[in-house]
Amino acid sequence: MDFILNKALPVLFHWGGVCLFAPFFLGVIARVKAFFSGKTGPSVFQLYFDLAKLFRKKCVYSGTATWIFRAAPAVILGVMLTLSLMVPFGRFKAPVQFSGDVLLAVYLLAVGRFFMILAALDTGSSFEGMGASREAFFSCLSELALFMNFIVLALLAKSISLSQMIGANIPMSWGGMEPVLLLVVVSFFIVLLAENCRIPIDDPETHLELTMIHEVMILDHSGVDLAFMLHAAAMKFFIFSGILVSIIIPVRTGNAVMDMAIFFGGMLGLAVLVGVVESTTARFRLNRVRLLLLISFALAFFGLIVTLWRA
Amino acid sequence: METFFRGPWQVPFGELSLKVDPLSLVFLVAITILVLCAGAYGIGYMRPYRGKKPLGIHAFFYGVLALDLVLIVTANNAILFLGAWELMTLSTFFCIIFDDEKSSVRKAGFIYLIASHCATFFLFLMFFLMARAAGSMDFDIMARTGFSPVLAGIVFLLALAGFGVKAGFLPVHIWLPYAHPASPSHISALMSGITIKMGIYGICRVLWIMKVLPNWCGYVLLMIGVSSGIMGVLYALGQHELKKLLAYHSIENIGIIALGLGVGLLGRSHQVPFLAVLGFGGGLLHVLNHSLFKSLLFFGAGSVIQKTHTGEMDRLGGLARTLPVTSILFLVGALSICGLPLFNGFISEFIIYFGLFQGLLGLPVQGGIFCSLGILALALMGALALACFCKVYGTVFLGKPRVDINGPLKDPAARQGIREGTSRWMLVPMMILAGLCVWIGLVPRTAAGLAFRGGAYLTHVDLAAVPLGQVFTPLTMVVRIVLLFLALVLGLIVVRRFLLGGTSMPVRETWSCGFSQVSSRFQYTSASFARSIVDLMKNVLFFRRYGGQVAGVFPEKTSLVSSVHDVSEEMVYRPGLALLNYISEKLGHSRIRYTQLYLVYILLFLIFLLVWKLK
Amino acid sequence: MMSLIDVCCILAVFLALTVLATHRIVGMIKLFALQSFFLSLVPLFLHAEALSGRDLMLSLVTMVLKAALVPAILFWTIRHISMRSEIKPILGFGASILCGAALIAVAFWISLSLRLPGKLTSSLVLPCSLATMLLGFMTMVTRTRAMTQVLGYMVIENGIFLFALSLFDAMPLLIEMGILLDIFVAVFIMAIVLNHINEEFERTRGSAVSRPKWGESQ
Repeated sequence: MDFILNKALPVLFHWGGVCLFAPFFLGVIARVKAFFSGKTGPSVFQLYFDLAKLFRKKCVYSGTATWIFRAAPAVILGVMLTLSLMVPFGRFKAPVQFSGDVLLAVYLLAVGRFFMILAALDTGSSFEGMGASREAFFSCLSELALFMNFIVLALLAKSISLSQMIGANIPMSWGGMEPVLLLVVVSFFIVLLAENCRIPIDDPETHLELTMIHEVMILDHSGVDLAFMLHAAAMKFFIFSGILVSIIIPVRTGNAVMDMAIFFGGMLGLAVLVGVVESTTARFRLNRVRLLLLISFALAFFGLIVTLWRA
Repeated sequence: METFFRGPWQVPFGELSLKVDPLSLVFLVAITILVLCAGAYGIGYMRPYRGKKPLGIHAFFYGVLALDLVLIVTANNAILFLGAWELMTLSTFFCIIFDDEKSSVRKAGFIYLIASHCATFFLFLMFFLMARAAGSMDFDIMARTGFSPVLAGIVFLLALAGFGVKAGFLPVHIWLPYAHPASPSHISALMSGITIKMGIYGICRVLWIMKVLPNWCGYVLLMIGVSSGIMGVLYALGQHELKKLLAYHSIENIGIIALGLGVGLLGRSHQVPFLAVLGFGGGLLHVLNHSLFKSLLFFGAGSVIQKTHTGEMDRLGGLARTLPVTSILFLVGALSICGLPLFNGFISEFIIYFGLFQGLLGLPVQGGIFCSLGILALALMGALALACFCKVYGTVFLGKPRVDINGPLKDPAARQGIREGTSRWMLVPMMILAGLCVWIGLVPRTAAGLAFRGGAYLTHVDLAAVPLGQVFTPLTMVVRIVLLFLALVLGLIVVRRFLLGGTSMPVRETWSCGFSQVSSRFQYTSASFARSIVDLMKNVLFFRRYGGQVAGVFPEKTSLVSSVHDVSEEMVYRPGLALLNYISEKLGHSRIRYTQLYLVYILLFLIFLLVWKLK
Repeated sequence: MMSLIDVCCILAVFLALTVLATHRIVGMIKLFALQSFFLSLVPLFLHAEALSGRDLMLSLVTMVLKAALVPAILFWTIRHISMRSEIKPILGFGASILCGAALIAVAFWISLSLRLPGKLTSSLVLPCSLATMLLGFMTMVTRTRAMTQVLGYMVIENGIFLFALSLFDAMPLLIEMGILLDIFVAVFIMAIVLNHINEEFERTRGSAVSRPKWGESQ
C-alpha cells in the first residue's frame, strides 16, 4: 500500500499528465501560426480529435516492412513515457531521480531515434531513406549541443541529476548567473526546435517535400501506429519544453495552485513563442540548418567558458 | 589477490613466471569466452572449405594463438611476455592469410606483420629501459621500483607507440582496416575482440608498473582516446564494406577504452581514487563488452558473407527475411555497440560518462576542460555510431534486396529464402554472445564488479576504500528504469494488438508518391545515407566523388563512385614510404656496393660498441 | 547592475559570432547594428550608484553614431552600388563557427594572464572585448568582399570600445569621442571609395564581357 502511494501513484500521475496535456501545446502552436497567416485555424484540440480517430483505425503495412516497422511505434512511445518520468513538471517532482539520470534520458532518446530510423529504412522507400539520413545527421549535431548544455548545467548545479540540474539549485543562482543561463536558454531553445522538427529546421506541416525530416519518416505509418508516433512526438515537445520552462521560470511560491499555474503559463508562453518563430522565419536550407545547430553548440560552449571563468 | 607460478626456463633473464591478478582476470574472462565461441563458429564457417583447403594448419595456428593469448596476460616476466607477444603476431599472421591465393589477403597479412614488428621494436626498448632501472625482468619486481619522472614519461610514450599499434590508436592503426576484412570471420572476431585488446592490456600493465606518472600522461591518453574514437567512427561511416566498417568501429571502441583509461590515469595522478577506479573500471568493462558485441557483429557479418558471398553493403538488402535469426542477433550487437540502454555497451559507457562528469565537477579547471572534451567526444561518438549502425542495419537487413544490382542474390533460391540455413555451429555462439550482452546490460553488478576490481588494482588502492556505492546505486536505478521501459513497450504492443483487433492487416506496396515503376535501386544506399555527415567532414576524411552528374533532358548512362580514404595513410605513410623508397633506391644505385663496405659498417659498429661500453 | 553589463558583453560576443555565420551582407549589417546598440547601453550600467550625465551622453552619442548612422550609411552604400548580397567565404561557415568558438576560448585564456591598471567594473568585460576583437578579425580574414572587411573592422572597433569602457574612469571622454569620430569618417570615406569604384566599373561594363563583381575572387 505504501509502495503504491509513494511510488506508483506519482508515476501514474506523471504519465496521465503527459498523455493528457502533450497534444494541447501543439494545438496552441498551430493556432498561433493560423493567427499570423490571418486565418482562424483549427481548434486547439484538433490533435486530440486526430488521435481519437487514428486510434480507431486499422493499419496498412508495406510488403517490404518487417517486424521492426511494427514494433517501432511502441518503442518510441515507450521511450517518451519512460523519459517523462525523469522530468519535473512544475510542482510535480520527477518520480525518478538519481545521479546520472540525464545520461539515461539522452540514451533513451537515442533508442527511440534508432528505431525511428530503422522503421523508415525498413519500408525501402527512397523518401524515407532521405528523411532517415537527415535525422541521423542533425541528431549528431543536436546531441552535441544538448550535451554541451548539460555540461554547463551540471557545473552550475554541481550535480548530474536532471531534476537538480534544471530545477533545484539554479533558481538560487539566477542572481549572478544571468549571462550563462541566457546562453544556455537560447542554445537549448535551438535544440528544442531541432529535436522536435519545428520550422527553421524542418516543416511539420507538409509531408512530401524533399526537405522533410520527421514527417517523411512516418510516411508509411497508419492507423494506430501513426497515432502512437504522433502522440510520442507531442510528448517529446512537452518534455523538452518542460525542461526549458523549468530553467527559465524557477519560481516556487509554495502555493501548489500558483506554482502549477505559473508552470502552465510558462509552457503556454513557450508554445506561443515557438509558433511566433515558426510564423516569422522561413525554413532554412539544409546546409544552413547545421550552422544553426553549430551556433547552438558554440553558445553553450561559450557558456562553459564563462562558467569556468567565474569559477 | 595474486597467484604465482614459477618454473625454470633456460633463457638469460627469462623465467617461466606466471601470475594471475585482477587485471589479467578481466582479460582472461574475455579470452576464454571468445576463443571458445570463435572456435565453435569457425567449425561452421569453415565447413564449405572442407576438402578444398588444409584446415588442419589453420586449426593449429588457431590453437597456438589461443594458448598464446593466455600466456600474454599471465606472463610475469618481460622476456616471456615478449616471446609470447611475437608468437601471437606470427600465429595471427598465419590465421589472417587463410585465403592466401588472393593477393589482397597476402598484402593485408604483410602490412599486419610489418606494423607489428615495427611496434615490437619500441616494446624491446621500453622493457630494457624498465629492466635497467629495476634490475630485473620480472614485472612484480619492476612494480616495486620507483622510476624517475623523466624515465616514466619516456616509458609511457614508448608503451603508447608499441602497444598502440596493436591496439589501433589513430595514427598507427592502418593495418587494422586491411587485416579484418581479409581474414575469415571468426579470426576477425577474435582479432577485433581480443588481439587488439592485448595492446590495451600492455598499456594497463605499464600503468600498473609505473605507480607514479607525470600529470600530462593522463591528458595524452585522454586525447588519444578522443581522436581515435571520433575519427574511427567517422571513417566507419564512409565505408561500403561491412567488415571494413566493423574494423573502423574497433578503432572507435579502442578510443572509448583509452578515454576511460585516461580518466582513470587523471584520477590517479590527482589523487582521486574514486575517479581513478571509475575510469579504469569503465575502460576495462568496455574491453570485455566490446569483445562480446564486436565478435557478435563479426559473426553476423560472417553469416551474411557466407550466404551472399559479398560484404559490399550496397549490393545487399532485405536480409532480415532471408536470415531472420542472424538479423535479430545482429540487431542485438548493433544496439550494444551504439551504447543503448538494455545492453552492455551502455553500462560501460555510463560508467565512463559518470567518471568524466565526476572529473568535471571535482578536478581543477584544466582537468575539467579535458573532461568536458571527453564527454562531448563520447556523445559525438555515440550519435555517429548510431547513425553508422542504422546505416548498416538498414541497408543490409532491411528494405528490399537490391537484386538487380547484378548481385549474387539474383539466384532465385536465395531470393525465395531457404529459411536461415546458417549452420547451428555458427548460430549458437552468436546466441551465447548476444545473451551475455543482454545479461551484462540487465545484471551489471558481476561484470562491473570484476572490472572495478581490476580498476582498483591498477589504482593500487583497496577496493573497499572506494565509495563504489555512488556508482552502483545509479546503475541499479538504470536497470530498473530499463526494465520498466521494456515492460512499457510490451504493454504498448499489447494495447496495439487490442486496438487493432484480431483481423489481419492489409499489406500493400510501399507508397512511392504515385510512381509505379519502383525498383529496389530507388532505396537509399549506405553511401547516400552517410553522405551528409561525410560531406560535412570531407576535409578530414579525404572524401572523393567521381561522376554522377546528369546533364540535358535525356541524359546518358552515368555512374557515381564515392570513397573515403584514410588521411594518415594517404598523408603520412604513403609519402613517407615513397621518400624512403626513393632514398634507398638512390643508395642502392650508388657505385660503392662491395661486400667490404658492409664489413666496414660492422667493424665501425663493433668499435662503437666497445668504446661505448668500455670507455 | 553588474550582471546587466555581463549580459551586454555576452551578447556582444554572441552577435560577433553570428556575424561569422551570416551569409548575407544585409544580415551582417543588422547584426552589427544590434551589437552596437547593446554596447551603447554599457555606459549606463558603468556606475552602479548614480547615472552621471557623462555616461548618458556617451551612451546616446554611441547609439546614434554606431547603431543608427553607420548602418544607415552602409545600407545606403549597398543600395547605391547594387552589389550582390551573398558572401563568398574563404573558410566555410561551419568551420568558421567552430574556429570562432575556439577563438573565444583563446581570448578568455589570454585575459587570464592580462593585468590591467585600475579596477575593472566587471570581470567579463576584458575577455569579452578581446573575444569580440578576435572574432572581428576572423571576419576580416575569412570573408573576401570589401563590405565584409569594413564590417569586420567595425566589429573590431566595437571590441575596442568595450575595452576602453573598462578603463573609462581613467580615460578622458575626449579621446573616446575622437575615436568614434575617426571611425565615422573612415566609414564615410570607405563608402565614397566603394561608390567610386563601382562607378568606374559601370563605365567599363560595355567593353568587358564578363566583369568580376567587386570583391569577388575569380
